[in-house]
Amino acid sequence: MTALVRYQAALLIRSQRWLPPVLLYGVIMAIGISSGQPLLDSLAFAAAGMLPVAAWLVRVCVTNEPPAARACAAAAAGPGRVHLSSVLTALLAAGALGAAGVAVVAVISDAHTADRRHVVPLGPAVTAGLLAVLVSALLGLAVGALTNPPVLRRAGWAIPVSGLSALLVLVIGGSPANAAVSGLVSGSQTGTVGLPLVPLCLAAVAAAAATAVACALGSRR
Amino acid sequence: MRLERVGRRYGLGGPWVLRDVDLDVPPGSLLRVQGANGSGKSTLLRIVAGVDRPSTGRITGRPATAYVPERFPPALPFDAHGYLVHLGAIHGLRRTTAGRRAGEWLERFGAAGHARTPMDELSKGTAQKIAVVQALLAEPRLLVLDEAWTGLDEAARTVLDDAVRERVAAGGAVVFVDHDAWRLAGEPSGVHRFADGRLTAVAAAGAEADVPRVVVEASGPGEPPALPGTPGYGPAAPGRIRITVPAHESDAVLRALLTADPPWHIRAVRPEPGPGAAGPETGPGSGTGPADTRGDTG
Repeated sequence: MTALVRYQAALLIRSQRWLPPVLLYGVIMAIGISSGQPLLDSLAFAAAGMLPVAAWLVRVCVTNEPPAARACAAAAAGPGRVHLSSVLTALLAAGALGAAGVAVVAVISDAHTADRRHVVPLGPAVTAGLLAVLVSALLGLAVGALTNPPVLRRAGWAIPVSGLSALLVLVIGGSPANAAVSGLVSGSQTGTVGLPLVPLCLAAVAAAAATAVACALGSRR
Repeated sequence: MRLERVGRRYGLGGPWVLRDVDLDVPPGSLLRVQGANGSGKSTLLRIVAGVDRPSTGRITGRPATAYVPERFPPALPFDAHGYLVHLGAIHGLRRTTAGRRAGEWLERFGAAGHARTPMDELSKGTAQKIAVVQALLAEPRLLVLDEAWTGLDEAARTVLDDAVRERVAAGGAVVFVDHDAWRLAGEPSGVHRFADGRLTAVAAAGAEADVPRVVVEASGPGEPPALPGTPGYGPAAPGRIRITVPAHESDAVLRALLTADPPWHIRAVRPEPGPGAAGPETGPGSGTGPADTRGDTG
């Protein structure tokens, strides 16, 4: 699996198809975040913006290889494992991007509540922000895995369904991503930082299940 | 490895591309799959290689596998050597071993000069060499070649022939499709014909009486050349040979005779009379019958 992920990561980096989703994340952050804003609000924004970006990164990774080249790798390692490696590569890319986003937010934001009355502890806030970004990345992964090949084969369907699903997962109450983001926003009101551990577990289960479905279909043509 | 009642169709209501295919691929075997274009040979090979999954039936005992697809696109953001090291590692080799073997195989295929060429700048022929090398690198126990010879130059074809023989001699299994009926015809191999989604074994040593056979008579100096396939030698006058071969091997046998050095002269080619037919088993033909073929080199 290490060799497969390394191969997929090299493909992703050298193909430069990572650029559009990374630019999207940059644009989302530039629109929603500026210097001196309350830390937890900005972290909430960074987390929310990650979800569609992660779904897009999955699309990039699972469609990056020409089919014949994928067949060569699949004969060696099995189609399911090849697909898993491309989804894992997307998760790694989303994680790195999200961590960079949180780092930027931590540097430029104001570590106070929204009304500027109370200090927000930087360490716990950043940890909560990282976990919330991870929740978003995992759910974006689940959306991406289920709305791209081999589940949805046609780009004409895959892209709009993927985008709408990412939006829905973000806004529907009760979704782990929504809970994690709301937790940060309400923390910014009260000044108490809670770690989104339950949403993280739920998101991990959703991502694992969605990836399992996609990998099981990995040999479907 | 064994395929049991394997079927494949695309979609729930689609037509069956493969149906009830049983195939044994024992270690050390060389299997050729014949069939018309579009008959589904590539689908069968993809299933044998484990790239595609059957809709029905099961596959047991899959060994370490490598696959050369029919068309290999060089649209990958690596140079040839870099790609081969990645694939070698995926096949389970250490990266240093993969790199060393990639160099050796590129050298053998006469592509050592392209090791650092970006894949998307490779010619079709060189890209095909890369496709073949990635499959040979890790000495797979099962090698699946879907017209891997197509696009290779003559020297590289010979190298691939030799590599296939080496794999088989080392106890690996090779399953292949090729346009050229002559391809590896000299090796003891199982031949399977694929038509209408079904696979049937073609008699290798004339064991099956229902395979149409052809009698070839030829004359020439000295010892007859080594002949491909499974020829049966019959009684003939001095300086002549009478060979009975399965019809699908006759072209290869004729070519071997005509291209021998010095060349042999084809006296007659005719269908073998069936077991029940009272066809006259005549002597050496005069070359006037409609089924006769004359060598123009005698």
